[in-house]
Order: sequence, then structure tokens, then C-alpha cells
Amino acid sequence: MPARIIWLLVTVALIAGAFGATALFVGGDRRVLLIGATTDAHHQLEMSCETCHGTTAFADAVAAEQAVNKACRNCHEDELDDADDSHPRREFRNPRMAVYWEKLDARLCTTCHIEHRPEITLAGAVTLPLDFCSACHSEGDQDVRAHRPSHAAATFDTCASAGCHNFHDNRALYEDFLVKHADEPWLAASPIHGLSALGRGQGAPAEVALTRDDAVAPANALAAPGILDDWSGSGHAAADVNCGGCHATGGDGNTGTVEANWIETPSLAVCEDCHRPQTRTLALGRHGMRQHPKIAQPRDPRRGLSSLGLEGLVPDAVADWLSDPVLPLRMTVAEARLPMKPDAVHRSLHCGSCHAPHSADTRHAAVEACSSCHDDPHTRAYFESAHYELWRNELAGTAPPGAGVSCATCHMTKTEQRGRVVTSHNQNDSLRPNERMIRPVCLDCHSLQFSLDALADVPLIEANFTDRPKIHVESIDWAVSRTRDQAVTDG
Amino acid sequence: MKRRSLSMVALFATLATAVAASEGVPFQRVADMLYQVMSADREVYTRMVVQRLTIDEEVLTASEHYDDDLALPLPSQMFRFGAERVMDETDEFSYSLLSLAPINKKSGPGTPLEKEGLEYVADNPGENFYGEEDLGGDRYFTAIYPDFAVVEACVTCHNSHKDSPRRDLKVGEVMGGIVIRIPMD
Repeated sequence: MPARIIWLLVTVALIAGAFGATALFVGGDRRVLLIGATTDAHHQLEMSCETCHGTTAFADAVAAEQAVNKACRNCHEDELDDADDSHPRREFRNPRMAVYWEKLDARLCTTCHIEHRPEITLAGAVTLPLDFCSACHSEGDQDVRAHRPSHAAATFDTCASAGCHNFHDNRALYEDFLVKHADEPWLAASPIHGLSALGRGQGAPAEVALTRDDAVAPANALAAPGILDDWSGSGHAAADVNCGGCHATGGDGNTGTVEANWIETPSLAVCEDCHRPQTRTLALGRHGMRQHPKIAQPRDPRRGLSSLGLEGLVPDAVADWLSDPVLPLRMTVAEARLPMKPDAVHRSLHCGSCHAPHSADTRHAAVEACSSCHDDPHTRAYFESAHYELWRNELAGTAPPGAGVSCATCHMTKTEQRGRVVTSHNQNDSLRPNERMIRPVCLDCHSLQFSLDALADVPLIEANFTDRPKIHVESIDWAVSRTRDQAVTDG
Repeated sequence: MKRRSLSMVALFATLATAVAASEGVPFQRVADMLYQVMSADREVYTRMVVQRLTIDEEVLTASEHYDDDLALPLPSQMFRFGAERVMDETDEFSYSLLSLAPINKKSGPGTPLEKEGLEYVADNPGENFYGEEDLGGDRYFTAIYPDFAVVEACVTCHNSHKDSPRRDLKVGEVMGGIVIRIPMD
């Protein structure tokens, strides 16, 4: 080989090595070094490696794996506790479970969920073959086929894929719950989503509501077309929140103070001041996960240079140039992996994306805001569904509050906290897996059997439930049969 | 406050096991002390809360699905919750409530020593069982203590539960065992 080519190859290798080393140990965009595509759950954080991998060097591979698992728990532990996790890590840390550590080590999230491995990643970011339950439940006292005649012919790849079991969250799937909800009609006599109905009835007392004449703001702001109309009809005006409540916080609300402190575009923090549960939960889902408090901040390149003994040897301008790219605070529609509308591609996600800040119309946020970006078959089919017809009837006043089913009804679950209805803004919460939707949403109107069947019917989901399920999940039949047989045995 | 209490238990256990290692206090003595606390708490909850409110006063129920049923957690669940919280705090010791006739199959004996110990305390009421075993590459001192059906609530539930393999339990009989493990390394 000619010397010139050898020198060229050496030069290219040195440049590539220098680039890689700089990106790894000092700063810069490292996404080119990713060993494989990141899952849909984490791709928004790709440029923030430290969020999962930590900031320090590890003594060995075991320490590195434990650090990654601790990072998993940083963001997901509360969610698992809320789910009444069926396989909690703390249970498997007990040394009496050591026999299972070699089969399927449930102490580690990474046993089942390995990042950057798209070629083996299944639904739920699972990277084990679907028959993973067989590792522990196929022999001895844990052999389900031996103890449950109904399961004798079942294969282990169907445990978690047939609508019967989940590894973590079985709150809508456990046996006694199945039996309790057997023999229900597929549709309730008065199908009303209770918490939606309760929430519609909640608002500030009428005596505190502000009117157009109460608005306090700079003249040019008040003159903006339509603003006063929107605001005076909004929940903000109804709850005694004047213009300064968002645009000039911290003052006494008088005209002079408001004008002096006026901020044209209030930050997310202003929304958070009053809507803490909503902003907190927003950061738990894909719409707002970049605002999660556990997201690692960009590296300080000077610290990396110092660790390499180069402190003071590199000009500040170069050090600044080596900085990590700043993780955008807001997810953009362009980065979404789901089908989105072309004209939404330049939008980013923040409170105002769904809630027009002055009208604060939750009805718009519940449907039109979603469909203004999302452009997949499920979203498009919604407008042909019975759920949408009910929603339109409710808005028109021909159906009672809570009768309508909007996007938010199913995807932004509600809880009652001390008499108040709080809407989770983690729109992924009811989807991981989708049986999580059953208890807070489906069961208010539908039977458990219908709900299980519908949520296991993938084409029906895509068609947004415009037909009846064509799949029958047998878990209720099996549970009822076992309970009946047991009762006979007991005499 | 609950978190602090658990931390105190973990601290006590850590100190106790450290003392055991450095000053020669036998593992058995440490395990016996831990058992006294666990056993007392378990009996107090069973007798003063579950028995009193579900059987004597009949004002509440106890259910394994306590959240859904708005009921009291079962005594075995309370015991397990405590054991799991301790596992969140420390690996200086661990404990479990097991049985040869468990309602929940994962509460059956999982190691040869557990089986031997549970059989021993069942056959020798009032006596404890001590041994050593290797688990996951570490050596453990393992103590197994009898767990008695102290009140009517225990036998009522165990004898009527659909998954219970034993339906003839009587008050005062051994239902299973409390297993305490301390790493010896």
C-alpha cells in the first residue's frame, strides 16, 4: 500500500479518535456514538447520556449496570409503586430469592429492558423473548400449568400478550377482580364517566368571577383583538385570576405594578405556580419528559478538560465550543415518532400548545388540540366513533356531563383528591400497558370483559372502537370457572 | 415518621450485625432480638387491630385487596410490607413469613434449609431452628421461628381462603415460620 494512503488512513483514524474522545470525555454531541437507536420512551433524551449512565467512571461492569438501574428507578419507581408492582425489586432483593436471580433477575430493570437494542425490542420496551415468564413459572411450586388446569395447554408466550397478565401492573387483571366483574353488561345502563362529570361541575364560586371591566393590563395588551373576550369567558377569569396573575406575578395587582412587571410571554413556571399537579405529571409523559427533574444537565467541558490534565491549556472559546448541546426544554412535533400533521411540525409542547392561554378552554384541549398534531389512524377514526358523537352531544347539551368521551377522557386519567378532580397530564400513563386504562376509564361505562377484549384487539384500537371486539380474552372465564370449582370442592 | 422508624430499625440491625461481627455477639443472639421485635409487632397488629375490629367489634373487614375493598391489610401483608421496606433500607439482614401450607405459593419454602426449618418448628412447637446456607454466592446465618395462630381471625381466614391448602387450623397451632437471615461475610 502506498505510504500516502497509509498516512491518510492514520490521519483519518486520529481525527476520528480525537473526535470520539472529545465527545466522550469533554463535551459535544454524542448521538453519533450511540450503539443503537434509543427506544421511543427515551429518544428525547439521547443527547443527555448522563441521565441514565451517570457522570462518574465505574469500577467495573457490575457497578455500571447498577448505576443504570438506579437511573431507571429515579424516574420509574413511583410509577411502579402506584401500580402495586407484581414483581417489586425489593421482594427479589431478599436472598431467599437467589434461586431466581440466575433465571430472571428481577432486581434489575435491565434484565428485561435493554436500551439501544431496537432489533430485539418488543412492546413495552421488553427485550426478552415473549415467553420470559417460563423462567420462573414453569417448574416446582411456581409451575402454573400444574396448579391451574385452565393453563395446562397455554404457552408461555401468551401470558403477557393475550390480555391476561402483565409483569408489573395487574390491578385490572387479578383473579378476584375478574370474578367480581364477571357477567356485567357490555355497556352500563347510564354510561357516564364519573370523574369527568364531577370535574365539569367543579369551578370557582360565581361571586369571585372577573369581567371584562376588571382586566388590569397595559393598554396595548388590552387592545389585542379578541383577548378580553377570550379571557373574560375563561376559567382564569372565573377563578379571579387577572392578567397580572400570569403576566406580572408577585405584585399587588394594581395598574402601575402590573405595567412595571409586565412579561409578554410568561414561562412554564408561572403555570406551575397554580397548576402543580398538572405540570408535575406532564413531566412524566412524553409530552413533557424533558422537564423531568431527574434529567441530567449538560456537562461542563472545563471539568472534562481538567480530568484530562488540560485545564488552562484550552482557550475559553474552544471550551465553550466543546459544550454539550443543550437539551431543548420542550419536545417538538418534528421529533415525534408517531405520525404527525405536516403543518404542525414546527410546534413545540408546552402548556399553551393545548391550552390557548387566554381562553383556557379545556374542551379544545381535550380533542382539537390533540388532533391538530396527531395524524394516525386511531386519531382520525375517533371522529367517526360513537365516543366522538357522545362528546359532541355533551358539548351541545343533549347528553349529560361525563357522557362524552374525548381524547382526554381516555388518555389523561383523572383522580379525585380531597373532593377535587385532578387530571393527570401524563398522557402515557394509561397506555403502559393499555390495561392501565381499564379501571380509571373504561369500567365507568363498559364491562371488564368488553374492556379486556377491546384493548386486546389491535385493529379495533386503530379504528378507534368503531366496532365491537373480535377477540375474546378468556381470563374471566377461567377465573370464574376456578372459583366455581373451588366452591364445589369446599362443599 | 414511618420512614424514620424504618431507618431506625435498619440502623439498629446494622449496629447489631456490626457488633455481632466485631465483638463476637453470636448471630443467633442478633436474630433472636430481631425476632422479638417482629413477633411482638405481628401479634399486636393481629390482636389489637384485625381481631378487635373485624371479629370482636365487626366494624371493619380485612382483605388482601385492602385498597379496592377499603379494608384492613391482612397481618401477613403488614409483615411483608415491613420486610420489603427493610429491604429498601439495608442488606444487613432480611426476613420473611413462610409456611409449609401457604395461601400464596411464593410464601412456601424456597431453600432446603427453609423447608427443614419450617418442618422443625412445626414438629417442635415453641422451639427455634438455626442453620447456615449459601445463597447467591454469600453465606447466611438463617434462623427460623414458629409463627402461631394467636387469635380467631388467623384461623378463620386461613381455613376459608380459596387458595389455602390447609383448612383445619386451630388457635394456638403453628401456622408457619418467621425466617431471619444475616449475611455472615
